[in-house]
Amino acid sequence: MLLELLGVAALIIGVFFCAVGVVGVIRMPDTLTRLHASGKVAILGLFGLLLGSALLVPATALRLLVLGIFLLLTSPVATHAIAASVYRRREIAQQLDGEAGTDDPEEGSDYAVDVTAVLARSRLDEIMEALERTQQRRDHPDSQ
Amino acid sequence: MPTNSAVYAKYWGYWDMIDSEFAQNAVQLILLAMVVLLIPASYRVVVGPSLPDRLSAVDLITTLLVGIIVLLAVIEETPVVVEMAIALAAFAFIGTITIARYISEGRYF
Repeated sequence: MLLELLGVAALIIGVFFCAVGVVGVIRMPDTLTRLHASGKVAILGLFGLLLGSALLVPATALRLLVLGIFLLLTSPVATHAIAASVYRRREIAQQLDGEAGTDDPEEGSDYAVDVTAVLARSRLDEIMEALERTQQRRDHPDSQ
Repeated sequence: MPTNSAVYAKYWGYWDMIDSEFAQNAVQLILLAMVVLLIPASYRVVVGPSLPDRLSAVDLITTLLVGIIVLLAVIEETPVVVEMAIALAAFAFIGTITIARYISEGRYF
């Protein structure tokens, strides 16, 4: 009975942190602050749920330990990858725009640069250049 | 003929069934709360102003789904269900990394 009470308490703590993370993702003003809110869900919220489940059904404890170690390793990496993508996109928008570069329409910029389209176009340019070089080498094999 | 959970309980030396009505009702209510939390999380996917917002919201939704699968394993009292949560976490990690690289560099690898 004590184990069940402890388990239900841990589950309630986990659901509380999940709810806090979702509210933060909705109400935070900026992309990076939203990432700060959603990064809490994977560690605090899910670890409360895992602890409560391990107390309620002890046969799942080993698999829950494996899942917890995996989440502990991968969740900060994923959040860091998204934050790095935000940073790089902002950098590209600043290079294209000059000073007030942002790709977030809510931040009050006069216009928003479509960074994804720019990246796709530059990638397409690289591919076309490589194709042209290949064709030149095929047509004039002695020129180089 | 012992049931599966009885075998586990003998193996681990614990009781394995959730006996009290209180714990069963509490786990079901918490599962309902987690499922309801998916709806405001998908709000940010729909109206997120920039692309990394949508990506982080999808990551949040898969995190909530991992928690939901763990709660389902508690309700069903079958520990094998947790392995589905491990697989979902692995695929969500790979997908998030790949899309984050694509929207910031224009290529996957």
